[in-house]
Amino acid sequence: MLDNASDLVVGPVFDTVDIGLVVLDSHCCIVGWNEWIARVSRRKARDVLGKTLLEVFPEVQHTRLTEVIDDSFRAGSSSILTHTLNELLPLQGESGEPLLHNIVVRPVSTVHASYCLLQITDVTVAVTRERVLRERQNARYHAIVDSAPDAIVTIDDNRNIQWVNGAVDDVLGYSHAELLGQQIDILLEPGSPLLQALAQTSVDSKAENAISVVGRHKHGKSGYFDVSLGHWRADQRNFVTTIWRDVTERMEADAALRDARDALQKSNEELESRVDERTREREIALQQLHESQKMESIGQLTGGVAHDFNNLLAVILGSLSLLKKAVPDNPRVSRLLDRAILGAERGATLTTRLLAFARRQELKVEFVALQKLIPEMLDFLRHSVGPNVVIHIEILPEVCAVEVDANQLELALINLAVNARDAMPQGGTLTIACHNENHGTRVGLPRDPFVCITVTDTGEGMSAATLARAQEPFFTTKGVGKGTGLGLSMVQGFTAQSGGAMRIGSEPGKGTKVTLWLPRAKESSAAAREETQPIQPAEARSLRVLLVDDDILVSMGAADMLLDLGHSVTEAQSGSYALKVLESDGPFDVVVTDYAMPGMNGFELAQRIKAGHPRLPIVLATGYAELPADRSIEFGHLSKPYTSKDLAAALEKALVARRP
Amino acid sequence: MTEDADQLTDIEQDALAEIANMGVSRAAHSLRQMVGEEVVLSVPAVKIVTRQAASKLVERNNAKKLVAVQQSFEGPFAGRALLIFPEAQSLELVRAIVGDEHSLEDVIDLEQEALAETGNIILNGCLATIANVLHRTMRMSLPSIVRGDGARLFEVNETSSGGQFVLFLYIDFNIKKRNVHGFIALLMDLPSIAALKDIVNDFVSGIEKQPSGHAG
Repeated sequence: MLDNASDLVVGPVFDTVDIGLVVLDSHCCIVGWNEWIARVSRRKARDVLGKTLLEVFPEVQHTRLTEVIDDSFRAGSSSILTHTLNELLPLQGESGEPLLHNIVVRPVSTVHASYCLLQITDVTVAVTRERVLRERQNARYHAIVDSAPDAIVTIDDNRNIQWVNGAVDDVLGYSHAELLGQQIDILLEPGSPLLQALAQTSVDSKAENAISVVGRHKHGKSGYFDVSLGHWRADQRNFVTTIWRDVTERMEADAALRDARDALQKSNEELESRVDERTREREIALQQLHESQKMESIGQLTGGVAHDFNNLLAVILGSLSLLKKAVPDNPRVSRLLDRAILGAERGATLTTRLLAFARRQELKVEFVALQKLIPEMLDFLRHSVGPNVVIHIEILPEVCAVEVDANQLELALINLAVNARDAMPQGGTLTIACHNENHGTRVGLPRDPFVCITVTDTGEGMSAATLARAQEPFFTTKGVGKGTGLGLSMVQGFTAQSGGAMRIGSEPGKGTKVTLWLPRAKESSAAAREETQPIQPAEARSLRVLLVDDDILVSMGAADMLLDLGHSVTEAQSGSYALKVLESDGPFDVVVTDYAMPGMNGFELAQRIKAGHPRLPIVLATGYAELPADRSIEFGHLSKPYTSKDLAAALEKALVARRP
Repeated sequence: MTEDADQLTDIEQDALAEIANMGVSRAAHSLRQMVGEEVVLSVPAVKIVTRQAASKLVERNNAKKLVAVQQSFEGPFAGRALLIFPEAQSLELVRAIVGDEHSLEDVIDLEQEALAETGNIILNGCLATIANVLHRTMRMSLPSIVRGDGARLFEVNETSSGGQFVLFLYIDFNIKKRNVHGFIALLMDLPSIAALKDIVNDFVSGIEKQPSGHAG
């Protein structure tokens, strides 16, 4: 037997190979033990030959080795025992370190007997190399994964976090340990789209784009993330690696940009609407400007026409009155003259109204108590409106006095009353009410305080179109020949010239309300008016009069009147000529000068004369209110057109004023 | 016993299943020794199929990535023995054996060796048991690892290959509460199948005589 065994184990090859070789006979006794196994087991061949494996390595009894050796003999099986799954033999390397080894057990049969061959392989180097390789690979892998700025979180089927990279601390505020084993849900809001995506996708689904989610930081803070999913499978289990990119800053920048854009759009819209509004306001203002320019033009035209017409009427009236004196005894002629004078006077009334509209009439501003003036007018008003219209007067005692031309105010009220009557053909009620207005500026008046007079009727009212044109001169709703169309124009001109205003409010079927604002009288002016003295008639005497007028026709008429009054007249056609005459042909008792003249006007002339001849009386003849109110007091005053009676009175007044 | 050589009678089938279960029980015992925990192995079914059929059977659930531990054997019958798993299951099996404390990376590293040894234990268990039970001696090679689909494992496209038929056994592992399903396939040519059947029938008749003799 041993001879056979020797055949198996003897020879230089047996002792030269770099693996361990042990040969066992069917009694499990060691019959072969090569140099390699002797070296790593520290047992010489001579010490172990003939012994059982169990005697040499008692620890073997707890391993599979005995079993597989048995199988090898009984069933001819070959086995492998690895260091991975088994504790094997107590072998050591040269420096005493444990030797990692695998053992292969094979049956060996000869003609005479069966043996078992154990081949022991050192795998220390291979295992070490593998470990080093893996560590190197892992180092590379960790370098990439841990230096990634994005948080990387791997979860399993149950959404439990299995692995995270280092960035989770920065990105989500959690440490490694806090996240491992937790559900990924703690990083998400309930119902997050990421949870839906996890439920709907699998290893087999195609890679989707990143999912935008709101992520929750450890300390409750929220942030925006783009999360990409990578499904993978290992060890029969599904994993998902989620990569979290923090896009909070980008989202916030986007939001800020969006807000800024919205704000810009909003302010653009506001700007546009303001531009629209301003454009509308401007259009209205332009319309109002055009309206007032139109009225102004009409006023100037009317004023100009009336002025010239007035001069002509002055000539006509003057001439007629002289003519009447010349032929006093012819009743037929006298009647014709009276009719002509009446016509001329009506013409003068018309020009007065035109001038009133043009705000150029002569206003005799005085202290007027409405409590007195209006009741005094009542009879006349009743007569004007007829029996079908009831008149109410409502004036409280505390209503202040006004400072206006009383005659013009009466005329205005009569005009309004007549208009009201015409608006109420079936009769109705006319109410004239007065109250103090302390807040005129609120309704657009230039200053306070005012007294407000309202004239209200219960008539048919006016349409908006009619209302818009109501204040235009010559506009009338009455039949041809029934009205002049100057009524409201005159009232409007009068109030404006007096420093007040007029408004008309009306709606069809609801009557018309005309409101007049008139300036309240100052207390002091009331006292001043009290002392107006009656003029003492001077003794009749012949005066030497210097008459200045650029209009030869007017000048001739006036000269005729003066001559008729028994005065002597020297005529001058301009201011400068008048001054020359004054120097060369003086002295004169009085100067009568027209106001409106080319070159030097009447006022300038009067001032020049006054400078040289302070005691010389001067009378200014004016067709309308050209003179500033305060200056007119300096000199005598005569309103055109005038009669010889008016002229005589003016001369008288001027002489009295200059009387020492 | 005049049935087709490539078919098993019910008795032959039962007997082979019995022998296989004895074999895997032995293997289970070895594994238990290694793992230190309960290991249950069972063979629920045995049949003889063609290589083509076998290659389809192993691709259960269309899992084409397979790993097999292969050992050849010779003796009264000869051929190749294969322990086959879907690749994912093999890893699961290794993890079950080496323990949960190992990381996935470790398991992947160990897979080759661990799988070879585990397969070796199971195939040796089966073949050795067959040899023991049938009182025959066989020689078995060392295990090697083969990867590929069913066709590759059973060399379907290679006509020169010896074995035409496959003795096909399902095997279920239950290790540490994990269930792993695999297959054991013994590729043999027709004479080997016939020889196996003869030996099995001898064994069956031997058993049948024993109880009757015992009873008589």
